[in-house]
Amino acid sequence: MNGNEIVGSEFAEVAVSVDTTANGPRLRLEDRRTGRVRHLDALELEALVWLPDGHLSRLLDPSADRWREDAGS
Amino acid sequence: MTATLPETAHQQTDKADKYARLIQPTRVHGSLYTDPEVFAEELERIWYRTWVYVGHESEVRRPGDYVRKNIGPQDVVMTRDRDGEVHLLLNRCAHRGNLVCDAPSGNSNSFRCPYHGWTYRNNGDLLGYPYNKGYGGKGKLALGLGRLPRVASYQGFVFGSFASDGPTLTEHLGAAAGELDRLARLSPEGEVELTAGWLKHRTRANWKLLAENETDGYHPQFVHGSIFSVTGSPIGALYSDNSTAVTRDLGGGHSENDLRPEFRRFGEPMRWFGTTEDRVPQYVARMRELHGPAAEEILVEGSPHVMIFPNLFIAEIQLFVIQPLAAGECVQHATAIQLKGAPELNRRMVSQCVGSAGPAGMLLADDTEMYERNQRGVALREPEWVDIRRGVDRERTDDNGFRIGTATDETGMRGFWSHYRNLMEA
Repeated sequence: MNGNEIVGSEFAEVAVSVDTTANGPRLRLEDRRTGRVRHLDALELEALVWLPDGHLSRLLDPSADRWREDAGS
Repeated sequence: MTATLPETAHQQTDKADKYARLIQPTRVHGSLYTDPEVFAEELERIWYRTWVYVGHESEVRRPGDYVRKNIGPQDVVMTRDRDGEVHLLLNRCAHRGNLVCDAPSGNSNSFRCPYHGWTYRNNGDLLGYPYNKGYGGKGKLALGLGRLPRVASYQGFVFGSFASDGPTLTEHLGAAAGELDRLARLSPEGEVELTAGWLKHRTRANWKLLAENETDGYHPQFVHGSIFSVTGSPIGALYSDNSTAVTRDLGGGHSENDLRPEFRRFGEPMRWFGTTEDRVPQYVARMRELHGPAAEEILVEGSPHVMIFPNLFIAEIQLFVIQPLAAGECVQHATAIQLKGAPELNRRMVSQCVGSAGPAGMLLADDTEMYERNQRGVALREPEWVDIRRGVDRERTDDNGFRIGTATDETGMRGFWSHYRNLMEA
């Protein structure tokens, strides 16, 4: 595990580190408010870099994936 | 904003009569500083209508940057979007009216209200809301954060207006724009930066007492006598009967103490900054390299001392923003001016600003003592009027057609009140 920085604002707080325990490095993201963790590999990160802004905004919609009547939060 | 009934012609005439009675050429009525009804009318006719200074572009340098600002009691968020455009948003959720942003500043391309999770882009558009079936699905609400309909900047100084129509910012600034140019040209890179942080002083006084005082050259020798004597400052002499400095009514309620005649008389670079050129050698060298012989004029004339109506005061090395909250209450926001590419000056400006406007500062505390005493004084019943006649019979018109008085005359105040009356009667 390399480093453990916090990217935080008044709206969200995420711990960021590079996890080197697997066969290749992965970005480890931890939502500090819920403890939920996600790993992103290099190809997934590249996809994020290339996401159009509009697409990224759609993910920010609280109802997009998280706070939905048909999904657990 | 609070809904108000349309005014009848009769009410408007009454208002014009009222302000004509209260504001006379050489005196103004004490109630203008204390009457809550006058303050409510000022909010509508001045603060929520004309151009008001809000913040500086250097405070939101990167996309996603935001800072909390204000126009009077209105909580404003200044943002920079991904395209670099600066927005002035009202910090009020379109759902239940909660404050959306709490931090004084940050970087976020979207804002999520902490109450029910409604989320906005940093241009104010509503991006989404949780559990959207309750609203019939996604994108069903034509709502967003409130926005100031007009935003414009000059030399990086961002102004906002709650009115959709009216004079442009350039028209509003008029001759005061030249003072912002004069400040910016002191930077080797031509840019002012307001990045030193802010001091906030809550003051139990009416905002107009401050605006009037900013270019009152009559008070420094009395109110600031102690700081002048302990520091051996030559500033006191600038505001004396022997001074060649002038007080200028720049029109539009703006005014300045033009100290350049005194500085030209001495012809010493950096005297305006209370120092000599050998103390800031890199800065002086860089300015000479950049401007050639024209650098001498810039280095001698220095920075402006200008009050830009209604709330922005630039005092050579520091800057103040006046935020009115009630007839008898306001906040003074103060920061050290920073000039891009001038680290020698910037360090000194921070320490000078702390020394004059910081918690133990010796300049602003003196002024604020006067403001608060003045507020209590004007509430007394007699003699009712505040006198602004000083120097009225020796005013002149300068080569550019502006009214000027001596360094200690109340020419700036008379200009302020004349413009104020026009706005309040409109």
